Amino acid sequence: MIKPESLYSRYAVNDLVRNKGVNAALLVILVLSAFLMATGAMVIERLAGSVGQLFAQAQPPHFLQMHKGDYDERALEQFAADRPEIDAWLIEEMLGYDSASLAWVRPATGESGDLTESLIDNLFVTQNEEFDFLIDESGQIAQPAQGAVYAPVAYQQKFGLEAGDELTVRTDDGPYALRIEGFVRDSQMASSLSSSTRFLVSAEDFDGLESAGGASPEIIAEYRLTDAGGASDFQAAYESDPALPTNGPAVTDQQIRIIHTISDGLVALALVFVSLLLIVIALLNLRFVIRGTLEDEVREIGAMKAVGLPDKAITGLYLSKYSVMTLVACVLGGLLAVVATNLLTRSVQVNYAEAPLGVATFLVPVLALAAVYVIVVAICRRVLGAVRKIEVVNALVHGSTLDEKQAARRAKRQARWVRRTSLTSSAGDINLRLALLDLRAEGGQWVLVPVVFFLTAVLITLPTNVLSTFESPRIVTYMGAPETDLRADVQYQEDVDGVQEALVAAMRGDERLTDVSTYANLQYQVEGEEGPEILRVEIGDYSGATVRFTDGGAPEAGQIALSALNADKYGVATGDELTIRRDGEQVTVQVSGVYQDVTATGYTAKMQGEVSQGAEAYVVYAAVAEGVDPAVVAAGLGEQFPTTVVLPMREYVRDTFSNMTNAFRNAAWLSLVFGVGVAVLITSLFLKLRLTRDRSKMGVLTAVGFSASEIVAQVRIKTLVVVVAGTVLGVVFSATAGESLVGGLLALSGLGITQLSFIPQPWLVYVLYPLVLAGAGYLGVVLLTRGIRSADKSMWLK
Amino acid sequence: MTMGDFMPNQGTVTLESRALTKTYFSTDPPTQVLGGIDLTVREGEFVVIMGASGSGKSTLLYSISGMDRPTSGNVLLEGRELTSLDDAEMAGVRLTRMGFVFQQAHFLSNLDVRDNILLPALKAAPKEKDAAIARVDALMERFGIAHVKDHGITQVSGGQLQRASICRALAGEPSILFADEPTGALNSSMSEEVMNALTDVHSDGTTVVMVTHDPGCAVRGDRVIYLRDGLLVDSRELGTWSAEQATQREDDLLAWLRDLGF
Ligand SMILES: Nc1ncnc2c1ncn2[C@@H]1O[C@H](COP(=O)(O)OP(=O)(O)OP(=O)(O)O)[C@@H](O)[C@H]1O
Ligand SMILES: [Mg+2]
Repeated sequence: MIKPESLYSRYAVNDLVRNKGVNAALLVILVLSAFLMATGAMVIERLAGSVGQLFAQAQPPHFLQMHKGDYDERALEQFAADRPEIDAWLIEEMLGYDSASLAWVRPATGESGDLTESLIDNLFVTQNEEFDFLIDESGQIAQPAQGAVYAPVAYQQKFGLEAGDELTVRTDDGPYALRIEGFVRDSQMASSLSSSTRFLVSAEDFDGLESAGGASPEIIAEYRLTDAGGASDFQAAYESDPALPTNGPAVTDQQIRIIHTISDGLVALALVFVSLLLIVIALLNLRFVIRGTLEDEVREIGAMKAVGLPDKAITGLYLSKYSVMTLVACVLGGLLAVVATNLLTRSVQVNYAEAPLGVATFLVPVLALAAVYVIVVAICRRVLGAVRKIEVVNALVHGSTLDEKQAARRAKRQARWVRRTSLTSSAGDINLRLALLDLRAEGGQWVLVPVVFFLTAVLITLPTNVLSTFESPRIVTYMGAPETDLRADVQYQEDVDGVQEALVAAMRGDERLTDVSTYANLQYQVEGEEGPEILRVEIGDYSGATVRFTDGGAPEAGQIALSALNADKYGVATGDELTIRRDGEQVTVQVSGVYQDVTATGYTAKMQGEVSQGAEAYVVYAAVAEGVDPAVVAAGLGEQFPTTVVLPMREYVRDTFSNMTNAFRNAAWLSLVFGVGVAVLITSLFLKLRLTRDRSKMGVLTAVGFSASEIVAQVRIKTLVVVVAGTVLGVVFSATAGESLVGGLLALSGLGITQLSFIPQPWLVYVLYPLVLAGAGYLGVVLLTRGIRSADKSMWLK
Repeated sequence: MTMGDFMPNQGTVTLESRALTKTYFSTDPPTQVLGGIDLTVREGEFVVIMGASGSGKSTLLYSISGMDRPTSGNVLLEGRELTSLDDAEMAGVRLTRMGFVFQQAHFLSNLDVRDNILLPALKAAPKEKDAAIARVDALMERFGIAHVKDHGITQVSGGQLQRASICRALAGEPSILFADEPTGALNSSMSEEVMNALTDVHSDGTTVVMVTHDPGCAVRGDRVIYLRDGLLVDSRELGTWSAEQATQREDDLLAWLRDLGF
């Protein structure tokens, strides 16, 4: 009596030695799948852990409203007193400086620099007492002593700041020096999508800076609610009270969380997506390999059956090999994932918090890997079910896995096929004809290759399309802005009207600039579900096809265009009417169209007109003349108007989407490298098995007078045809359905993009990538057909 | 008669091998299968190669037909040195000068019987498609398989398939036909059909070199050579085949084989 275990291991060892290449390729694919799956799962868990940890330590507000300039403190107190759902609230006073006002020196080495490169507001604050704490690197609530400052961790990385450096703030009374004590993590402003960042100083220094002058005072009204889920209702209530300060952005904790997850979670999601694709590929491969193995070893299987080994034992023989292989792959992939996760989450850990190690830390990746294992083994078991159908006599005598009926069916199918086709009915090169005939007859057996190339093509083109879309200057159309060269933001200051007037005058007088146009931001009120709400409307000239509308068109007099999120919020579409109010005056306007916008959290509107007085903020756009570098013009204007942010459009776009594009750049590279690698690997693996199966066919061709080169050419033709077919389908899919897929995900994320159209780099994505991919397939076939020329052809007929 | 002298006495030489050896290096230690073979085949001759299992008969056949490269020695076909030809030239020689018949009938399963037979002819002269079709139809008629021409290859019997093999081998109008145990997988009546076909081919003037185990098949040849451990040890002239003398030829052959220890 043979012990099954020893039989299994003997079989497994023999098989591993005999089919080194095939087994190695399978293992690599399985390891990759497991690796990406585990990494994705771990990154998501770490990210959630880090964000959760920071939120737990820092207690961010559930709703906050920023405001610049004067405000009515009594109104805020009255509002708070009337609202039982408020758990705690505070007004945080802040001193805002632009980046050029901040410089640093390192006393030890004399190194120095300034923070001009940062484009966001720098807000100096004292530590809060009840909630919204700034957290130092050890997770404690930072408490700076007099003369000390805690700088944001983002700056630590961006400018290479160190504790002990001296930070000087340019005030009206001259430089005000502070020593950097450490760095703080900011639960509200950690994401780079945030437009400002906070520095922490002691109460004494805060007073010192305030009296020294030169800062623009800002406040944040912050609320913690008894029920965090009520934040958006609370926001509506806040905005319906006209006495409350509202000229800055308003944010709910939900939005903060979304922004955190979007910026860093995208990488993790991309990893999971890639790993799912790879698992599909791995399963297709396994199916192909197992079926091939059963066909090759049908006589052995017949013999085992003949001596009375039960089907289960025979299946077990094969299954044990694949289970062990998958197990090894999961373990290896998991170990690699630990390393990769540490690399990928380093910046997350710095910006947010050291995520605590919990049960979930181990459980999440283990469960992800267990899922991979279970799925792979289950599919193997299913495919191996074919063992049961093998009949002893057919297996032993005819070497066939088919039973009598199946064999008859196959013969009939073949007969029908050969009657329909004829070698003599078409002209052209005989090798080409044979190759195409083969493909048509055996298409089913080749299907693995086009499917893999389809998936790989999707895998490498989608992230690149997303990346180029968010990097393209044309993406401004998703920001509710016209396509032009320069953008100036006049906002958050005492005399916006005056600055705007001077700025526009300067720009109109500059012959390097053309088409200077001003858009004013006005706040209207709209009747929302919970009472009046604020509607930010941009007023300017939209007559010249400046913004792309997903529905309807530009507003004319008496009309309004709404951002997609606003249209959705108020439940209106093109042609509907909306009543808006400002300064007690009420007008009813007709919705002229809907556009996509990601700025101001996506809630904006546009009306035709000209406003140069009394607006909350202005945006001025201009085009540059031929040959003028917008960056130079922007720098000059920025110097002339220090309180105004003037940026080349390209840079503005890059800034807004930098987190997203960084994530996608990594994802794009990763998937290109993986995709091409997988393509070569699978093509080789497939051909290795295919050629073994085609030996007698190649022998016949040799005997009747085909040269090895011609036989190789036939294999290459077949491979290229399926590779190209898969690649083309994949590219077409990602340009059409892929666009809707990504668009749908983005629409769900609440960013304000409802209809994404890719802005691809056509040469790269539709020419170079497919060529690279087809080249990878060709490389695979070249590698595998190399041996054909030198082979002893008679071997193929034995 | 001396050892190593296996020359027939008359006619032009079609195929000739000199000091042909073949060693397989894939085994450890390497296996020398052919130990220096000098063989001459004359035009129109029917040579039968016999020998015990594993003696190197197939290897010899594949080596002289260019399917395998010999380890050393020369092969000349119609005065042309085959061992110096490159792969494409060798393929050309197989296409236009040689035909093959194997023990297992190897066919392309995606083509019907006639297309399989047509394949080499179409490849050799793509322009003369109609002539090739006519020739192939005539061949199939002659060997009694015209009625299965549009059948799939799994739909016809072993004997029919092997006759189709012969048709395919002849479709390119070769000067020499190689057959490796063409009846090895057939029952006796099918064997008879196939051997009749081969005898027919030979009587047309085609040179035939056939490997067989079966003395009943071997008697069809003009000359039988005997291989032992990779060396030609003896040869026997039988003269031209005639059905009337079949029994006598067979007795003669069996006696000779018995002496050789077959
Ligand atoms: N590719 C190979 N590698 C190693 N040894 C081989 C190879 N091909 C054949 N042999 C060995 O060469 C010897 C002769 O083989 P060959 O097939 O020529 O014999 P044969 O006379 O045709 O036998 P049979 O009558 O069984 O067909 C055998 O011992 C065989 O094992
Ligand atoms: Mg043999």
